[in-house]
Amino acid sequence: MSTTTLTRPDAAAARASGGRTSVGLGAAVRWEARKLRAQLRTKALLVGALLAPVAVVVVVSAQSRPPKDTLFGRFATDNGYAMALLVLGFASQWILPLVTAVVAGDIFASEDQHGTWKTVLTRSVSRSRLFWAKVLVAVVFGLVALVLLAGATIAASLVVVGQSPLTGLSGQTIAPHAALGLVAASWATAAPPLVAISCLAILFSVWSRNAAVGIAGPVVAAMVMQLVGSLGGIEAVRPYLLTTPFEAWHGLLAEPRFTGPLVDGVLTSAVWSVAALAAAYVILRRRDITGG
Amino acid sequence: MTTTTRAESDGDAVDVVGVTKRYGPLVAVDDVSVRVAPGEVYGILGPNGAGKTTLLRMLFGLIRPDSGTIHVFGRTWAHDGVRTLDHVAGFIESPKFYPYLTGRQNLEGLGLLDGTWDGRALGDRIDEALDVVDLVGREDDRVGGYSYGMRQRLGVAASLLRNPRLLVLDEPANGLDPAGIRDMRALVKRLASNGLTVLLSSHHMDEVEEICDNVTIMSRGSVAFHGTISDLRAMAPDPGHLLRTGDDAQAAAIGHDRHRDVAVEPAPGGGLMVTGPQHELSSFVADLVRAEVPLLAFTPTRTPLEELFFMLTDARSEEVA
Ligand SMILES: Nc1ncnc2c1ncn2[C@@H]1O[C@H](COP(=O)(O)OP(=O)(O)OP(=O)(O)O)[C@@H](O)[C@H]1O
Ligand SMILES: [Mg+2]
Repeated sequence: MSTTTLTRPDAAAARASGGRTSVGLGAAVRWEARKLRAQLRTKALLVGALLAPVAVVVVVSAQSRPPKDTLFGRFATDNGYAMALLVLGFASQWILPLVTAVVAGDIFASEDQHGTWKTVLTRSVSRSRLFWAKVLVAVVFGLVALVLLAGATIAASLVVVGQSPLTGLSGQTIAPHAALGLVAASWATAAPPLVAISCLAILFSVWSRNAAVGIAGPVVAAMVMQLVGSLGGIEAVRPYLLTTPFEAWHGLLAEPRFTGPLVDGVLTSAVWSVAALAAAYVILRRRDITGG
Repeated sequence: MTTTTRAESDGDAVDVVGVTKRYGPLVAVDDVSVRVAPGEVYGILGPNGAGKTTLLRMLFGLIRPDSGTIHVFGRTWAHDGVRTLDHVAGFIESPKFYPYLTGRQNLEGLGLLDGTWDGRALGDRIDEALDVVDLVGREDDRVGGYSYGMRQRLGVAASLLRNPRLLVLDEPANGLDPAGIRDMRALVKRLASNGLTVLLSSHHMDEVEEICDNVTIMSRGSVAFHGTISDLRAMAPDPGHLLRTGDDAQAAAIGHDRHRDVAVEPAPGGGLMVTGPQHELSSFVADLVRAEVPLLAFTPTRTPLEELFFMLTDARSEEVA
């Protein structure tokens, strides 16, 4: 690339006249992504998302007695697809919430920890731009982690355990090529509630100004919702819990297939996300930056 | 582009009118007005808790005033948002950076947030800024390992990167060693002589006296004085001196008998405290010599302006304590 293409004449003109435009979302996103890349924790998390599933698959497949009581546990030791679904059921309890919260719960609170709100907010970026840049980066990070976890789990399951036709939830037999699509789709259904968990972590992070609360808050909230969801007689509440969408994939493996819970799950996740982000946005916009 | 620049340069760099900020029952800034003309070096002086930082935070839009208006080059936060800071740079309290990034990486990021997409131009500007604050050679170390003074200097570099017309510095010399203080003052003077408008806060009268044209003295949130340094000098009390002699009783008697305009009192730590107009002091000392009172020391205590500062801000009792 030649250096002349790097020089934007409008930018040069703006500088020469001392003028300046307020910074767009792109620059703020670039900066947030760059800070994230520079942190050891981020890299460790992504490497962990790749390696941990391999270890889990190897350990579970080495068991002489399969975990029969868990969904797809019965076939997990001799069917890779069942193994990948078993790991999904397990991961969605608190691993997925935790992995997303590690970044989303920290991305706002770390500015408080380092006292850097005043550093960035006295440049040319508005609070709302910075807010949306952080939200975008945190959500994308959560999704990247999900893709890595899913990819690593499915690959490890198929390599370690092997592929054979999968027995579905209604006892139907699913051919391997169809099973692969369904397993991948099942993992993908974790994306909407995961985004909602990220937004919840962002709210905790903005509200508490403390990374520990930002990270632990949504994980604890997810665990509480899981507990509430396991109680009897709360059918009216269950569709609104953020843990219910994590189970929506069950419908994909039944015969006939049903996708009602998937649609509900997307709606529930959207409502949680919008509510959490709106609250976080208002708190950040109104806040007096007195620290740092 | 040039026409807007010209229009913006008319009027004041900073125009704060009747600004008040409360924290619960405490009025941190109470109906303060400050006006800074372009090209001026303006000092806001006050003891701890006077409200200097609170005022500057409001200027930067970090906190919102409860009432009053703040215009910066004709812009307001309510109307222009972050564009209010288009020609402004500076820092509040001690500058803060990301400790896990190097000095250069921090500056690159802040350059991004200034809207500088041109990596090469930004790199050149960073080199220039690092050179001005004398951090060349340390820019690739993580800020987490910087000393306090280095962070302070990186804060100045980060401000210069914005190529501002107004530089706002909150106690820039705070925590620096004597050489650092000297360098910081020299830098501010140099930047001001190039036409930069500077608004700085300080605890130290000598700092403000040395580099500022105009000053506002704040005390407990309110304005205690407003004017030029020469106005302030005219108001200053007579200088005080600490006198040590071989015979304090005789020295005091000479003062009482022959020099009505000179006050001679026992000083708290021993010796005599002598206050009066400069020429009276000279003739008093001459009389002591003539009377063969052994003179051991005759040293100025506070400068008159410092004395005035303490009078205006009622901080004297705290200072002695
Ligand atoms: N976040 C806050 N919450 C409550 N009170 C505050 C807050 N920030 C400042 N204050 C109070 O407002 C007053 C002014 O504080 P400020 O920091 O503006 O003073 P200052 O002149 O900058 O002092 P210093 O010289 O110590 O930096 C003080 O009484 C302080 O206690
Ligand atoms: Mg202060």
